[in-house]
Amino acid sequence: MQVYLPIAEMSVDAFVLMGIGFGVGWLSGLFGVGGGFLLTPLLILIGIPSPVAVASGANQTLGASVSGLIAQWRRGNVDAKMGSVLLAGGIVGSVLGVQLFALLRRAGQVDLAVSLFYVVVLGTVGGLMVMESVKAILRRRSATRRKLHEHYWAHGLPLKMRFRKSRLYISVVPPFLIGAGIGLLSAVMGVGGGFMLVPAMIYLLGMPTSVVIGTSLFQVVFVAANVTLLAALQLGTVDVLLTLLLLVGGVAGAQFGASMGTKLRGEETRALLGLLVLGVALSLLWGLLRPPESLFSSGPAL
Amino acid sequence: MIRRCLLLLVLLLPVRAMAQDLPLVAALSRNDIEVTTGFTGASLVVFGSTEQPIGPGGDEVLVVARGPTRPIVVRRKVAVAGVVWVNGPAARFPEVPGYYVIAGTRPAWQILPEEERQKNALGLDALPLTSTGARNPAFRAALLDLERRSGLWLEDAEPVQIEGARLFFVRLPLPAAVPTGEYQVEVLLVRSRRIVARQALEFRVERVGTADRVATVARGQPLLYGVACVLVAALAGWLGSILFRRG
Repeated sequence: MQVYLPIAEMSVDAFVLMGIGFGVGWLSGLFGVGGGFLLTPLLILIGIPSPVAVASGANQTLGASVSGLIAQWRRGNVDAKMGSVLLAGGIVGSVLGVQLFALLRRAGQVDLAVSLFYVVVLGTVGGLMVMESVKAILRRRSATRRKLHEHYWAHGLPLKMRFRKSRLYISVVPPFLIGAGIGLLSAVMGVGGGFMLVPAMIYLLGMPTSVVIGTSLFQVVFVAANVTLLAALQLGTVDVLLTLLLLVGGVAGAQFGASMGTKLRGEETRALLGLLVLGVALSLLWGLLRPPESLFSSGPAL
Repeated sequence: MIRRCLLLLVLLLPVRAMAQDLPLVAALSRNDIEVTTGFTGASLVVFGSTEQPIGPGGDEVLVVARGPTRPIVVRRKVAVAGVVWVNGPAARFPEVPGYYVIAGTRPAWQILPEEERQKNALGLDALPLTSTGARNPAFRAALLDLERRSGLWLEDAEPVQIEGARLFFVRLPLPAAVPTGEYQVEVLLVRSRRIVARQALEFRVERVGTADRVATVARGQPLLYGVACVLVAALAGWLGSILFRRG
């Protein structure tokens, strides 16, 4: 069934979009991440212009994360105070990110920038995940747990604040900067950033695992909302019909993935996710290195 | 009898006079192409008749359709450090027709002198495409190639069909990616390598229904549209999680 996307100004098969939404939703339910990092490259692959893919991907991430946030909030797994600090950074970061994106678009380097960001970020995150989980699988005994109160450089920073739910008393500077960095990436890559935020919260901030997922969803929902709003205002590239078609498949897929995810072991899940992330990074890297089929490309002049 | 003959003459006269004034009469099968949410492309037929016989040995007919123009940037990829392919030099073409189709009973270059063909922009190589930026003619060639591949620029894809030496028709395909706006269709009558008559026709391609409303709101009230996108996505996510909740 062909559907005409009003903002992308092209006609695509609705079932292909719903299928992509389902597949990405299934994986994201399985691994507990938003799946934006898979969605945006897939949309670009089927011919959606990069600016529309990034903006609509952020909009879809928002929808896909809302239900998770509600569930986590009910269980009391959201540290709203920490989430607000991350969010404050996230909003600053996403405003900067949208400016950066507009600049890149005028310079005609959006495709390159999006690919480069993906290769670097996904390559790093995927590599770390695979390494970490392979180690864990090899050892299979989680004897070396972190101490409850590890002291490192971040504890010397000013503006300390007490985060009760996270059982932390730390400076607001690190979470603010992490939030800003991820906000910037989400504006350029069209991702929520959950796959980066979760490890950052555990390893950099030392937050307990129980509140990490809920708090990251809190940040992702609001940052994705901000990116959507800014993209609609400044770039005019949010295609609401595209978002809705992706969500129809995605929400269904996420529930199936989540029920399957409970059957997998933690380390194996993380190793698989790491491999998936690495695979996406490598395929995009190949796209940058391979001699192009056509040296020339055209686009609307801005 | 005489009266009847006179009457017939009177009735015939204006027809004869009209036919003499108009060596060429043409029309379009539709004047509005509506782009709905289910739009997958359309086509329209340009048809008409001539006073003199057309076809081999007679007059020739050319049909040119032009869509709204928009500025286009053509970029060339260069390998940075011989490894990574990056968009490099660019040429900006301020007025590129979003749609250009030319068809004739025979190709334009066969039936018109080169000078005349260039003057009237008949044929892809005769399009007046000026550019700023990179000067290399390869950019123009690349633009032609890219537009041709998109299916929006066609040159002699289908000949103008002739029926009974007086009637002609040609189908103009409008693929799904056809830009919205005003289109001009020109029908030219060529006799012994000269354009002897021309008729200009127009049609519109416009978005209607949901697709139109979404695009209009997104352009006119981006803040409202952005807020609506956020709310719609959040609502869809929430509804979906209720509908598909398992266990």
